[in-house]
Amino acid sequence: MSVTWRDDATIWLDGDCPVEDAEPLLRLLQSNPDSVVDWQTCSHLHSAVIQVLVIAQARMDGLPGSPFLRDHIAPLLMQANADKRAFEPRPEMPM
Amino acid sequence: MNEFLDQFLIESRELVEQATTDLLWLEAHPRDEHRLNEFLRALHTLKGAAGIVEFAAMAQTLHAAEDALSGVRSGQKALTQVLVTESLNCLDQISVWLDGIQADGEIPADAAAAAEATMALFRQTPVEAGATETLANWIEPLLAKFPSLAPASRVAIRYTPAIDCFFHGEDPLNAFSRLPGLLAMDLILREALPSLTDLAPYDCVFSIAALSLASTETLEQWVQAFGDSAEIVPLRAASSAPLPLLQQILQAQIELLEVEREASAPGIVPSIVRTAVNVLRHDGRMDEAGLIEKAAGETELGRQRTELLAALKHILRIEPRKEDHPSWAAGEVPVGTATRGVRVEFGRIDKLVKLISELIVVKNDIGYSADLARRTPERVLASKLKDQHAILDRLADQLQRSILDIRVFPLRQVFQRFPRLVREMATSLGKSARLVIEGEATEADKTIVEGLFEPLLHVLRNAIDHGVEQPEVRVAAGKQPTAIIFLRASRTSNQVIIEVEDDGNGIDADIVKQAAIQRRVVSPLAAASMTHEAIIDLIFEPGFSTTVETTALSGRGMGMEAVRTSIERLNGRVGVESAVGQGTIVRFSLPFTIMLTRIITVETAGQVFGIPVDAVVETITIPRQRISPIGRERAFIHRHRTIPLIRTTDIFGEVKKAHAEGDVNVVILRVDSEWAAMQVESFGTTMDVMLNPLEGVMAGMAGISGTSLLGDGRVLIVLDPQELVR
Repeated sequence: MSVTWRDDATIWLDGDCPVEDAEPLLRLLQSNPDSVVDWQTCSHLHSAVIQVLVIAQARMDGLPGSPFLRDHIAPLLMQANADKRAFEPRPEMPM
Repeated sequence: MNEFLDQFLIESRELVEQATTDLLWLEAHPRDEHRLNEFLRALHTLKGAAGIVEFAAMAQTLHAAEDALSGVRSGQKALTQVLVTESLNCLDQISVWLDGIQADGEIPADAAAAAEATMALFRQTPVEAGATETLANWIEPLLAKFPSLAPASRVAIRYTPAIDCFFHGEDPLNAFSRLPGLLAMDLILREALPSLTDLAPYDCVFSIAALSLASTETLEQWVQAFGDSAEIVPLRAASSAPLPLLQQILQAQIELLEVEREASAPGIVPSIVRTAVNVLRHDGRMDEAGLIEKAAGETELGRQRTELLAALKHILRIEPRKEDHPSWAAGEVPVGTATRGVRVEFGRIDKLVKLISELIVVKNDIGYSADLARRTPERVLASKLKDQHAILDRLADQLQRSILDIRVFPLRQVFQRFPRLVREMATSLGKSARLVIEGEATEADKTIVEGLFEPLLHVLRNAIDHGVEQPEVRVAAGKQPTAIIFLRASRTSNQVIIEVEDDGNGIDADIVKQAAIQRRVVSPLAAASMTHEAIIDLIFEPGFSTTVETTALSGRGMGMEAVRTSIERLNGRVGVESAVGQGTIVRFSLPFTIMLTRIITVETAGQVFGIPVDAVVETITIPRQRISPIGRERAFIHRHRTIPLIRTTDIFGEVKKAHAEGDVNVVILRVDSEWAAMQVESFGTTMDVMLNPLEGVMAGMAGISGTSLLGDGRVLIVLDPQELVR
């Protein structure tokens, strides 16, 4: 599986994340809403996975190598996370 | 037909043509305000013309169209796909009416009903406009979100995948990574923000909105895979505020200068200079007024124009406008401007055509004299005359070519309407088909470009209705569910070849044979001896149809015969090739120009006749004994083929009683799959002639397609092989 829970409270997305990854990722984010998602080694994200990340307003760590993810998906995820932090009483440091 | 209607027809056809070209241009370049205004002006003029001839239905229809489009001019509404389609439908309807008037000489009686139907379409558009409003709801934020990319964006696109699309293997976001010209992408959630706890991870709850710099047409094609749930909205320049008065005036001067560049109208330049200088001074822009005066100081007329244009453009800061038209830079010829560059009155071209035909007569005349002189002692004179002939020949050739070029248009003009039509036709039959156009830059005579729409539409309809199978049938046969139909154009030395090729189920010769026998198109006996090609050719016969039921598209008895008739009217030929299970190719071979015909001259009954070379297979001399009487007719066998001899007496009157012995000269003709031969006294030469159509009492004479003049002043009658062979 390309979605793994790391000991440093990070969700790690690695390589090609197919549609089946949406459910385990959602479960991890439901139980650890403040966790950081490390997607630097991710090469492909299925739409269902992206959807989970957007709705969870996940905090993403770093940038992946894929130009499409970097140029078009990363801004969406950053925007979603920024929206979330705007409503939090104590904003965290920006990425 | 009364004089008014005559004039109305000529004008309206031009306007419909102009409006159609404008509309298609606007579809791909929605920000071109100049063209938008031209288009609306054409509609308005059409409406006025309809009013003059008291054609109320047409005036009302155009009024409805203007109403629907008025929001576009003010920038409140985008020129949506729907609006373009409906406007095209409206123009089509007007063309149908114009055809009706041409045929009957009066305004069609049933026009009111058709008008009502067309107007109903436009009345639905406000509903669409409502949709446009909601479209605007997503476009505005999208543009606001990517302010730096917004100016470069030509098209906004939104796709709302089905909620269960993930289960069908769709990956819409990644599909958009392949969107042509993708500039920016946004994801819009259907609800404000669904709670994470209730989220069903395999339900797709978003729409994708994107900005692209590709053309609407490209995206239309690309988006077909997504079906109806994708919307494409061409973007117009955000600021559609009218230019300030000063700029408008200067702009008008530029246009005047550009239009007048060709014509030598020296009077116009001083008035342009005066106007420009005055408005600039009035606005306190003395330096710039000085620029204009300096440019006007040029003494040489051509340079003066160039300088003035440069100065005016400099003042308006519109010189480097290339970024407005990125596609031009890529070498693509802008359709509209390329063909709009010269607006020549048709009457003038026809005058030129007459002139050139006279010039050709003179050319032939000199050639004739040269021949004559060679037989006399004055050999010197002969060689001189020959030289002159060569020069005149070259001149005439060049002049002819350049004149014919005025009438030449790219086939793109007719081709570009088909991708949408094909999609619509396929959808209406529950099929999926994609049109691939090749060689649309190929050029052909105006008459041919204009005359191609109907036959091509017919062939494409047939391909979709009879050729392309239902998607499941295709998949079962191991084909892609979406059929691909090629529309190709190419040019050989003097012919334009147009092909429509589909990868459908092909034509089954057995079914064609059965249907042809059933419908008494051919006798069972004759059918039995026919070749595969000849049987497939039967689909062009009058009254032929294999369909029992009438579908929405075809099967109304207006079969391929109509196609053949229209193509033959353009002096072209139609052929068909088909392999069962693999597809069908329908091929039109058309002359590049319809005015120049290559003929071979023959002499019979003391007269010279021309026969178009296209139809001539061979000229041979055969022994008289080989001709045998068959019933009342005569025929001979040549290369294992029985060729009937046309009774020339029917056409040309009594032929001199020839000797009973000796050889006979015959010209073997072939039209489609029909063969025939014509007995002649002698063969002449081949030559290119300008055909003058038959006029007055001779008009409509069967068997003759036109006349021309020979070098010795005799009238050359050019025969119509089609009439002869049948």
